Amino acid sequence: MTQPRISRRTVLKGLGGITIGLPLLEEMMLTHGWGAPVAEVPTRAFNVFFGLGIPAPLQEEGYDGVLEPLKPLKEKLLIMRHVDQVRCDEKGINAHYDGASGAFTATPPNGEAKSGGASIDQLIRRTVYQDGLPKGMVSTLVAGTFFRRSRVSRYVHSYNPDGSVAATMQERPRDLFDRVFGTIGSSADGDLRKERLKRSVLDTVVDQYKFYAGQRSPLGKNSRAKIATHLERIREFEQRAYEMKDKHPLAPKAPKPSELAHGGQADPGGEGIDMRLGDLVEEWRLMADLYALAVQIDRVRFGALTFLAAGERLRITGDYEYGGRKVFTFNDEKQLGKSGSAGCSHEWWHQFRENKKNEQLRAHIHMKMREVAYFLSLLDQPEMKEANGRTVLENSLITVSTESGDGRHSDPKRELSGIFHAITGANNRFKTGKILNVKAEGIDVYNSMLGSFGVKDRLGPNDREHQQVDKIRA
Amino acid sequence: MALYDFQQVKDAIIPDVSGVSPKLDLVIKDGKHVSVERGFLRITGSTQISSEQNVAGFADVLRQTNELTLEAWVKPANLKQEGPARIVTISKNPSERNATLGQQGDQYDVRLRTTRTTTNGIPSLSSPKKIVQTQLQHVVYSRNRFGLARLFVDGRVVGEEKIVGDLRNWDNGYHLALANEVGGDRVWQGEIHLVAIYNRSLTPDDARQHFRAGPNAATKLLAEKKTNPNAELFETRIAGILAKHCLECHDPATKKGGLDLSQKSTAFAASDSGKTLIPGKLSESDLWVYVESDEMPKKRTALSAQEKEALKTWIAGGATWTFETIDPALYQHQSDGVRTFVRRLTVDEFTETVRVIFDVDISQEAKEILPPDLRADGFTNTGYNLTVDLGHVDAFAQLAEIIVNRLDVKKFAQRFEKSEKLTDDNMRKLVENMGRWVLRGPLDADEINIFRGISTTVASAGGNFEEAVGFILQSMIQSPRFIYIMERERGLGESRIVTGYELANRLSYIIWGGPPDKPLLDAAERFELQDEEKLHKHVTRMLADPRARTHSKDFISQWLNLNRLNHLSPDPKLFPNWSPQIAKDMQQETLRYFEDVVWEQQRPLADLLNAQVTYLSPELAKHYGLSPQGNSIARYELEAVSSRGGLLTQGSVLTIGGDEASMVTRGLFVLHDLLRGTVKDPPPCVDTTPVPTKPGLTNRDVAEMRLKNNACGGCHARFEPLAFGLERFDGLGTYRVKDQYGNTLREDGQILIPGSAEKIAYENSTELMNLLAKSERVQESLTWKVTQFCLGRPLVAADARQVQQIHEESQSHGGTWYTLIMAIVTSDLVKTSPTVSLSSEEKR
Repeated sequence: MTQPRISRRTVLKGLGGITIGLPLLEEMMLTHGWGAPVAEVPTRAFNVFFGLGIPAPLQEEGYDGVLEPLKPLKEKLLIMRHVDQVRCDEKGINAHYDGASGAFTATPPNGEAKSGGASIDQLIRRTVYQDGLPKGMVSTLVAGTFFRRSRVSRYVHSYNPDGSVAATMQERPRDLFDRVFGTIGSSADGDLRKERLKRSVLDTVVDQYKFYAGQRSPLGKNSRAKIATHLERIREFEQRAYEMKDKHPLAPKAPKPSELAHGGQADPGGEGIDMRLGDLVEEWRLMADLYALAVQIDRVRFGALTFLAAGERLRITGDYEYGGRKVFTFNDEKQLGKSGSAGCSHEWWHQFRENKKNEQLRAHIHMKMREVAYFLSLLDQPEMKEANGRTVLENSLITVSTESGDGRHSDPKRELSGIFHAITGANNRFKTGKILNVKAEGIDVYNSMLGSFGVKDRLGPNDREHQQVDKIRA
Repeated sequence: MALYDFQQVKDAIIPDVSGVSPKLDLVIKDGKHVSVERGFLRITGSTQISSEQNVAGFADVLRQTNELTLEAWVKPANLKQEGPARIVTISKNPSERNATLGQQGDQYDVRLRTTRTTTNGIPSLSSPKKIVQTQLQHVVYSRNRFGLARLFVDGRVVGEEKIVGDLRNWDNGYHLALANEVGGDRVWQGEIHLVAIYNRSLTPDDARQHFRAGPNAATKLLAEKKTNPNAELFETRIAGILAKHCLECHDPATKKGGLDLSQKSTAFAASDSGKTLIPGKLSESDLWVYVESDEMPKKRTALSAQEKEALKTWIAGGATWTFETIDPALYQHQSDGVRTFVRRLTVDEFTETVRVIFDVDISQEAKEILPPDLRADGFTNTGYNLTVDLGHVDAFAQLAEIIVNRLDVKKFAQRFEKSEKLTDDNMRKLVENMGRWVLRGPLDADEINIFRGISTTVASAGGNFEEAVGFILQSMIQSPRFIYIMERERGLGESRIVTGYELANRLSYIIWGGPPDKPLLDAAERFELQDEEKLHKHVTRMLADPRARTHSKDFISQWLNLNRLNHLSPDPKLFPNWSPQIAKDMQQETLRYFEDVVWEQQRPLADLLNAQVTYLSPELAKHYGLSPQGNSIARYELEAVSSRGGLLTQGSVLTIGGDEASMVTRGLFVLHDLLRGTVKDPPPCVDTTPVPTKPGLTNRDVAEMRLKNNACGGCHARFEPLAFGLERFDGLGTYRVKDQYGNTLREDGQILIPGSAEKIAYENSTELMNLLAKSERVQESLTWKVTQFCLGRPLVAADARQVQQIHEESQSHGGTWYTLIMAIVTSDLVKTSPTVSLSSEEKR
């Protein structure tokens, strides 16, 4: 590929108060160790997950319904309806979890922290880059904005063939930034993961001190001041230990710490948390910007990005607008008339009825599609054009999927059937500009996709006769 | 508004002990199935226990606040009673009520009449099924003015609904009844340990605190609230103002103008100029007249407007003087500044905590990595001085990793949860159980979320169970709840009973310098520590544990600053035979002496001043001029050695005076640390360079010159004579009768006990030691010092009354370490805690 240009708009859009100076980034492109520029179009595969799904009947409305935000990209997408993941059902296990595990792997979960097998992106990576990715590249980047986390498959969507996660989840913009721009530690690569986990521990320690120093603290003024001093020292320590060590001289300024709940605070036992739409979108778009930037500067070619976990529980408030019109005013708790978990937007999926308006459900899905489209469109900007004249979006395999085709939990078969899928053309390997009723199992769809990349390994059981789904091929 | 603790049930009357008027006593009208036990009722069948008066009194108050809380400690007899079976009801009959707390099988159910519910209080708020248990449970129903009603069981929210409307339609004519409906027919069987009704709502935090405080807490708090505001003003403000502005000239020793303002008897007596204080009569009280016009204090800063206002209010309000003597030592710190101050664990406490909780010894690493704790107010465990710097944060992170690396993580986790699954349920259970042990008390839901979150992060990075638990433990070790002794400080500004877990931690860090063991945590869980008898048993058990002896030595070490000896380097020209080993032996002498007197002989603490025994190495014996016994540290009887016997004759204390055996430094030690006296710092213009001795001029001569000097004598007279009896000990504690110039040294003198006008003469150091050992002031001071060490903070005026009670209690049982610690930990200084109200913080 040619040397990519970095769009000021790409970098700055959605970053809020974050300062990432354009000149620095341009200089960075010329430095070594950041993924060498290549003349040809590289192979890339990313999985984009959004939580809670789209009931199959709503998919039938095409771009006139909840899929409207994808319409501007329709010529570069293949919408696949009637894709079944029923084989991923595990009796007694949460249906959200089953469906989410099936997304991109087509296999049921294997325990609480593993999938049943590899995800699409990882099999392609192993086939295409058998000798490894170019030096200095992040081999797999897994990131997301999500909150519910009781099981890994709810939010991680890139897996090794043994079912283990392909990379550590980066759930804060700062974490993603560090992962891409490599500011942490001088330790050997094997210790980097540990360093990141230690930093994550420190984040939870900070959260605890913040509580005791804050307004909800059970402590009096003097004690709070003392704890606040301790907190300042921790932040100083954090900065010295993790931010000032081996920082690349040309690295841009790091994003400010996330204001949203992360770690255990983000998921208080499935009870859900309050969330303002503006805050959610701001953080997600910052993640999306950083991820797109990482792709653009060829720091990453494989991985997954998650917008809200499977079975996510948020009590969202705020006005939702699209295309200059106000679509809906979110206020889940008030509109549901219940507090706690029963007041979360998740309930709208439970309440889906084909013969009803499903107004709130539609608005939530529409919003999710707007945000998925936001990320996809970042990869489709003019500056994302590569040597073959196509954009990164067109040249990559980007698989968009979710966990369920019905949210009522009344019929596992129906729930795991008709699961929304959309893919990009992958450098003219797959059809685009269409909405297809593929009427196939996810495992066959995925294996057909893999076949187009020359991947010999197959997802799922070896003794199963694979059904080619040729209709998706270009 | 109404409180029943069942402690004083007499003639079938259950008194309302809330102290709120009008009282609403209950009458046991049919006692056939009721037995009155100590502190609770046992109901075994149909009964009638109800108020004679109707509830008009508190119904009016409830209408104003539009809030209500019903609180009960109950032990249901079975899980079958229904109706709901009435536990507490304010009603007329089975279908007309203001409010009812009942049991419906294995659920609790509360009905409340509002303008939007029925006269039967429907719809009710019910707990989920399987909440009721046949054990003592804390049940709270609380509804706020906005209609949010919550049901708490054992401190946790089990039900929440909007019960809209207000309480305007409450019926004044209904009665309060227990264990059955008014008029019968809805019998409840079981035990009722406490019932309370409030005209305000409780927050989840309040409910949790009430639960943790146990069933006896409410009555104890009430018993405390019998104070006279004028008396409180005297104790918290006026005594301090007098100490700060007046006693420099008007104490028993100086008594300028014939006025001694330190004592009640003299303050109210006539002075040279007339009546100083006439309760209620401002213009006739000289004290006010002089202070208001700024004529007093002379040549000193005038009282501030706030101080004058407080003085005015106090005199006008009756000038209540609650204790005989004002002790200036009490007023060196503001009460608010030190009584509620979170305390970090000292290095030793951190090490001991790790040892007990994880069975991992990090003493060496902790000493190397953690910055040392510094002394403040005479101790290194003083909370406000246990600060945290970058070095601490770095060290805690390193130590957390070291500890976890040395731990068999899986085996450790197995103690709390057998399963090794990373599932949500399993990890939450593990975090909850493990956290209770590691963080020395139960975790709340937010904390469980935080630690559980670490395991999800580890899992999403491909980590396994062992790694997840390891990182959770690292986070717990760096948590404020591990590093600090965390207690609730916010409240209504009043004293509160500490929770069982808080008390367990206080006990263990006071007695052992480490965390509670399992029996203590279990006792906290079962509310046993609120029971005097059981508390006593636990303290006795703890004091018999070797850790109590070890930790007590930390007291003597901190009090006498024995670590100072590690750096003692006397001038080799003056002391050519000195060896650093002698300093170590001096430390050991004092520590072994303390153990002998306090633990082996179990003598009164004041005997530390004159016990005729010590422990010396052969080198130290020679240094003291005694014949060595054996090759190692040995016990020496000192009856026949007139110059030695008691702490003040040991090198560890005598070296305080430096090479020159300064009488100023030694005298100040006795004044501050044994007599609890105060003296102001020398004025800035004074040359404090020590005057050297020479032929014909001893230390005593130099001191007496200072005492005769008008500029110095006023203050130096308070402390230098206290060291006269030690003149024959040189800077390193060697006894001699002539100094290096051949001057003859004396050992006679006089002491002036702070607060007293009369000096007491002594002939030699032995008499001085005996005087000190017998001095009530010294005995009190030892109580103060040990109490300060136990609480980890300086004592202030607000503590004075309780410390005096501790002292009297301890002395009445022999004044030993055992009796003193027992008195301290069973006192309200340990069992209760002041709180800070949000409004008072905002005012400041």
